[in-house]
Amino acid sequence: MMRIFPVLAVCFLLAGVTIAQQAPPALVSIQEVAQGLPADGSRWLTFGGNYSNHRHSPLTQITPANVSRLKPLWTFQTATLGNFETTSLVRDNVLYVTGPQNVAWAIDARTGRQIWRYRRELPQGLTACCGLVNRGFGVLGDRLFMTTLDAHLIALDIKTGSVVWDATLEDYKTGHSSTIAPLVVKDKVIVGAAGGEYGIRAFIDAYDAQTGKRAWRFYTIPGPGEPGNNTWAGESWKTGGASVWVTGAYDPEQNLLMYGIGNPGPDYHSESRKGDNLYSNAIVALDADTGKLKWHYQFTPHDVHDWDATEVPILADLPINGETRKVVMFANRNGFYYTLDRTTGKIIVAKPFVITTWAKEIGADGRPVLIPGHTPDEKGEVTCPDLTGGTNFWQPSFDPSTRTFFVNAREVCMTFISWKPTYTPGERFTGGSGQRVKPSESPAWGALRAIDPATAALKWEFKFLSPSTSGILTTASGLLFSGDSDGNLLALDSRSGKLLWRYQMGAPLHGTSPTTYIIDGRQHLLVPAGTTLTAWAIE
Amino acid sequence: MPAMTWRLFSTVVVSWALIGPALHAQTRNPYEDNPDAILAGMGGYRVRCADCHGTDGRGVRGPDITTVWSTGRSDEGLFNTIRRGVPNTEMPAFAAPRASDRDIWQMLAYLKTLAAPAPTDPPRGNAENGAKLFRTLCAACHKANGTGGRLGPDLSRIGTGRSRDVLLARIRRGSEDFRAGFEPVTVTTADGATVQGVKKNEDLFSVQIMDNRERIQGYEKDKAKAVENGKKSAMPVFGPDRLSDSDLDDLLKYLQTLRGFDPTVKQQ
Ligand code: HEC
Ligand code: HEC
Repeated sequence: MMRIFPVLAVCFLLAGVTIAQQAPPALVSIQEVAQGLPADGSRWLTFGGNYSNHRHSPLTQITPANVSRLKPLWTFQTATLGNFETTSLVRDNVLYVTGPQNVAWAIDARTGRQIWRYRRELPQGLTACCGLVNRGFGVLGDRLFMTTLDAHLIALDIKTGSVVWDATLEDYKTGHSSTIAPLVVKDKVIVGAAGGEYGIRAFIDAYDAQTGKRAWRFYTIPGPGEPGNNTWAGESWKTGGASVWVTGAYDPEQNLLMYGIGNPGPDYHSESRKGDNLYSNAIVALDADTGKLKWHYQFTPHDVHDWDATEVPILADLPINGETRKVVMFANRNGFYYTLDRTTGKIIVAKPFVITTWAKEIGADGRPVLIPGHTPDEKGEVTCPDLTGGTNFWQPSFDPSTRTFFVNAREVCMTFISWKPTYTPGERFTGGSGQRVKPSESPAWGALRAIDPATAALKWEFKFLSPSTSGILTTASGLLFSGDSDGNLLALDSRSGKLLWRYQMGAPLHGTSPTTYIIDGRQHLLVPAGTTLTAWAIE
Repeated sequence: MPAMTWRLFSTVVVSWALIGPALHAQTRNPYEDNPDAILAGMGGYRVRCADCHGTDGRGVRGPDITTVWSTGRSDEGLFNTIRRGVPNTEMPAFAAPRASDRDIWQMLAYLKTLAAPAPTDPPRGNAENGAKLFRTLCAACHKANGTGGRLGPDLSRIGTGRSRDVLLARIRRGSEDFRAGFEPVTVTTADGATVQGVKKNEDLFSVQIMDNRERIQGYEKDKAKAVENGKKSAMPVFGPDRLSDSDLDDLLKYLQTLRGFDPTVKQQ
């Protein structure tokens, strides 16, 4: 006995140590991800802050009264070519940030000092249409998920930044790429393929967060025999684009993912792809477990102006005409603002939020009532909005307490010109472009607009000299943070649109918004602008 | 086929295959006279070039390019100019992959349909007298070959960048489409003083100006009484009362000699 006891004790000790090393608790639970932004400000774990994409923080330390006392705490520089379009995640006082060229960092949120850096070796001659950007991480357990410019999805170890698994979405040589921030739902990571200017056939994919194995794929263009394939004349479905590059919303109650789908290709050439071209320029609602389509609504059937519906959908339950409606709100590149019923995809409200000259209204059947003369040809036609659209992928925000939808809107017209393109794999396949209308004939400007989603009526606007491409953050204290195209970071009163504070960042916030969280009891504001990330707090 | 002939034939084929592609690039536009390519080229030209060279190719903020063939430029040379741009001028490079070889050839195929005989600029004009006129009327605001004022754009290369017609219209009639960085603006400061000049930059909260005395300075809008964009260019219009028709011919002749300034060459 005497001799056995110490042996046993040693065994226990060893076993104990081993157990402790094997199972430190995973950093991020799915409950935390699903919960959205907590009142204690300790985390920001999804692209839009919550699955509904509100980009609205419950934090109230920074207020309209004290916002002018914001002071910078630190600035982080990427030392990498290209600009931030990312939404940073934060957990346990550490920031998880993706940058251009698929570089990513873990950064000490207290000091701005790097903890680790990841850099992907990218092939030469990538064809990503619109910059070598990335829009942010998804997270679950001890893993961060990032899409890559060469069309992969990778999982990184959250503690070290090393690759855990690497899944190929599709061959980048055929023009596929991926820039979207992954959305983690249950045990799956949801992503999409970009490349709508290269004649790809795009898709939304779900991958097992644990193994990196593909769980399902939804092609955004139906194949032969599938419903909707007949909305593409001839073989045009094969090169129809319909890319996916902006994170959608998730409705846990219905277990539905809602994603906006990109433009049909070739972008401008009508004759090359007669028909409605489903599901380009639509919002699709998919079962999160299977990827099966539940409903869709096509904002712009047979688009010829490159008006991707890749804006951020926002979910809420709203009283409309005395009834509580489950809605999805959507300010579209085509110039119309929509409130849809998110159980059916049917329109509740649809009105222009900028000057639109291509459609009179959205008819009772849900289709735009077209104004003739807006199909581009070799000579060109002037249409408003321009190809960048009434708004675009930069994030809107929604304040549930005042039930207000905020969006950066553009007032720009363009001469659209089109010609018959030839498809070559991996080459641009747009069949046209746009020519700016002379400023002396039609000046380009923009405004941040506050919209009532029950009526689409304008509550207020803040005008810009030229259109802003910044996302928007609102807070429960009645603040709105955004930027203009000249590098100004702006704080507005979200109830009135009055300017409260500003700071010249030296580069505009482009396709990204500030985020906010609490470190050591103090509310921080994090601002990505150009190649810098700056943290602010009240002195 | 007799052996000899065969050998000869295959040699010809081989050498053709070897020199073929190079020759092809040197001689002719492969899309010339191809109607589909010309239409596509028209679209491409309007999107990418027409702002500067005009829908008709006769030039706005760039030269007349309908006369390039009649003045002896080759297809290959033009292809290279478009591909590489003209460094240090407004003529941008149209690089791959955004502009493919096919895109450029198609635009050239379209341009060829606009091709015009060599410029019919009147031979009138005395460049020497034009240079004198320039010094008295224009040099206060414009640099040419290293000397002159800075309120207006440097005109040292204006002879290659603008057609005679465009220059004439600009001098006689003015223009509402101001060159970027030279838009007229007036600031009224807090103490009521007015500062007139051209706008170098602007955002919601400030404006940066070169005033008529060439002082560069920023002004905060909330500290100024007013900031007003002008409707008329900072450059005066030179009607026949200020500049006779024959003096105008001389001045234009001189401007056309301005084809670039090399700052490494010592000035007198
Ligand atoms: C931003 C204005 C601008 C744009 C856009 C532009 N150009 Fe030019 N281009 C110029 C200017 C200015 C020059 C004269 C440069 C110099 O000073 O030599 C020029 C020169 C040229 C020349 C040489 C003319 C000669 O006599 O040698 C050609 C050819 C030409 N451009 C074709 C094109 C084509 C084709 C496009 C569209 C694909 C285009 N340019 C777009 C401004 C422009
Ligand atoms: C009081 C200052 C002033 C004087 C004097 C003046 N200019 Fe100008 N000029 C300007 C300014 C400022 C602009 C640019 C603003 C604009 O585009 O209207 C300009 C523009 C031009 C342009 C157009 C340049 C381009 O990019 O296309 C030409 C050509 C020109 N000037 C020629 C002349 C000539 C020739 C004279 C003399 C007969 C002259 N200017 C006298 C101020 C002046």
